[in-house]
Amino acid sequence: MSRTSPKHPFPEAEPPAPATSGTNPSDTGPFPAPDVRPTGRVLRVGRVLALPVHPRSVAAALLLLAGLAAAAAATLSLGRLGVPLAQLPAVLGGQGEATHLFVLERLRGPRLVVAAGTGVALGLAGALFQSVTRNPLGSPDVIGLAPGAGAGAAVAALMLPGVVPVPVGALAGAVLAIVTVYLVTGTGLRDPGRMIVAGIGVAAMASAFTHFVVSVMARDQASVLSAYVNGSLGARSWDHAATIWLAVALTLPFVLALAGPITVNEMGDELADSLGARSTATRTGAVALSVVLSAAAVSVAGPIAFLSLTAPQIARRLSAAPGPNLVLSGTVGALLLVCADLAVQHSPLGDGLPVGLFTMALGGVYLGYLLIREWRKGTL
Amino acid sequence: MKTTTPKAGPARAVLVLGAGAAALAGAVLLSLVAGSKPTAPAEVWRALAGGADPYTVTVVQSRIPRTLVGVVAGAALAVAGTLMQGITRNPLADPGLLGVNAGAAAAVATATAVLGPTSVAGTVWWALPGALLAGLAAYTVGTRGGDGGMVRLLLAGAVVSAVLTAYVQAVALSMPDVFDSYRYWVVGSLAGRGTEVVTAVLPVVVPGLLIALAVMGGLNALALGDEAAVATGANVTVTRAGGLVAGVLLAAGATAAAGPIAFVGLAVPHVVRALVGADFRLQVPFALLVGPTLLLAADVLGRTVVRPTELMVGVVTAFVGAPVLLYVLRRTKGAA
Repeated sequence: MSRTSPKHPFPEAEPPAPATSGTNPSDTGPFPAPDVRPTGRVLRVGRVLALPVHPRSVAAALLLLAGLAAAAAATLSLGRLGVPLAQLPAVLGGQGEATHLFVLERLRGPRLVVAAGTGVALGLAGALFQSVTRNPLGSPDVIGLAPGAGAGAAVAALMLPGVVPVPVGALAGAVLAIVTVYLVTGTGLRDPGRMIVAGIGVAAMASAFTHFVVSVMARDQASVLSAYVNGSLGARSWDHAATIWLAVALTLPFVLALAGPITVNEMGDELADSLGARSTATRTGAVALSVVLSAAAVSVAGPIAFLSLTAPQIARRLSAAPGPNLVLSGTVGALLLVCADLAVQHSPLGDGLPVGLFTMALGGVYLGYLLIREWRKGTL
Repeated sequence: MKTTTPKAGPARAVLVLGAGAAALAGAVLLSLVAGSKPTAPAEVWRALAGGADPYTVTVVQSRIPRTLVGVVAGAALAVAGTLMQGITRNPLADPGLLGVNAGAAAAVATATAVLGPTSVAGTVWWALPGALLAGLAAYTVGTRGGDGGMVRLLLAGAVVSAVLTAYVQAVALSMPDVFDSYRYWVVGSLAGRGTEVVTAVLPVVVPGLLIALAVMGGLNALALGDEAAVATGANVTVTRAGGLVAGVLLAAGATAAAGPIAFVGLAVPHVVRALVGADFRLQVPFALLVGPTLLLAADVLGRTVVRPTELMVGVVTAFVGAPVLLYVLRRTKGAA
């Protein structure tokens, strides 16, 4: 990123700097004029559908999917109970030894599917949120949304069992958290610093509340607390898998429909409005979708830290395309979470460690790096 | 920060400090009386005098050490917060938010994992360097490239805390047997501490308090800004270094004794400023009284709301103190 480039609220959306864009075929000269046309080609399906296709994004997505398949195969086959790679196709087809089938259907299969679904949801949520707040740090987990959802889930599961479904409780907690942050910052989620400080407060309150609920309702069960505070993928069932993928499937059409308006919105409210995009409606919709996706992820896996912060940023660097890179972010999220879970299951520190701790440690380092970079540029 | 400056004068100072001392005495009494077995004040008195039945004596005597720990930790945290806010001229500074608590926790966790369960006196000497290192790391990152304002410092602290907390929890969860007692320490609790905890942290806390009392006059000058402070003849460097050392010593001592307790160091200075005004020579002694009062009150609350079990005091202070953070953030509009 060149230092002389004009200040832009969303620096990653700039066209790639010439020195690093050797792989981009649209660059011809050493200093090409900024290309305002949609890059890449347009995929047409009859006269109904015309989707702009960014070749580099497609290549990145294919690469990520291949990585995801490899990580999934490793998840299923590594370890003492793993299904050997050679027998994997047969077992996936429903034939093979009973132990292998058991491992696939009860142990590793649901866990893998939940991990992928949660990763997609968190990646999408982060991409939507960062894009509409025009703030690379504006991720649902930085502002305390996940701890809020965790507290809501704890209340629904432990205090009102059977009355309020856990996902509804998580959603209520997430909404409460984001409304609190919005009111406290007073600047409408725009100022990254204030937002994060508000998030620290909201997160502290939410986890204190979770502690309270757990110590009232489930005394002496440290494992219960850990599940609501840290985020874990251990012992997931197909019910969890159905919940998260249903949430993704229900929100995906709306998310994709918002992709265009969001890209326009990144140019600024005034410009977006003058171009015919309704910026306020777009922002409200995107935040709502982001909250729903985060809450769904928390209700099946607990608050998994920093994934929705990281996934969109990686996606943006992979594609080097403007806009929120929604599909790519979701894919990156899935790959990251499946890999993190794989690392946790086979880590030397011992298994049974919640995956949320792993992502928290790595994501924290990444957040530090991001902050220092923002300070250097003077945007914070 | 808008503060109404009350009328100065020794009479008022004595009055305010007297009221603070009375409140602290009330909190101490409450801490001895309340709990899963409520005991009448008269009974407590008889138990202390040695004339009650053995059961009540046991109950009351088990409450004495935790009250002492609460007094020491509360005072240390409150003074540390006052110093930090004065030095950084930042109403959001708090030793806990700067990663000091997490650093102490990480060091103690490492020591416990490597050497096995340590005595509390040993815990102190691990917590101290950990707190110092984490605080320094956050301060260095947060003030890199000039004065970045309050938010930058807090963000650096948040990052340090996040990474260290994840490390601590990972270590604790992977060795559950070693960390049985540690699990309570890490949330911040006054329960299950003997008087030896207090004696172990006093060599750290007392020097910290003395330094704090020595530099509090200089903090008044520092509040004017560095240039103006130098112009008034104050030694800015000495004041700032002394205040930072004292703040870290106090925070580390409190954390070693009671575990990482958040938000006391943040909230108490705001309460103190609202009551006695901006003069640090009044603020520091008053914080010394208000801190223990609030921490003991939070502990009593934690003991009574979920009876017969208890809520750790760190949970109560987070729930009560975090709104203070949000409120202060809301009021410092545009300053971030």
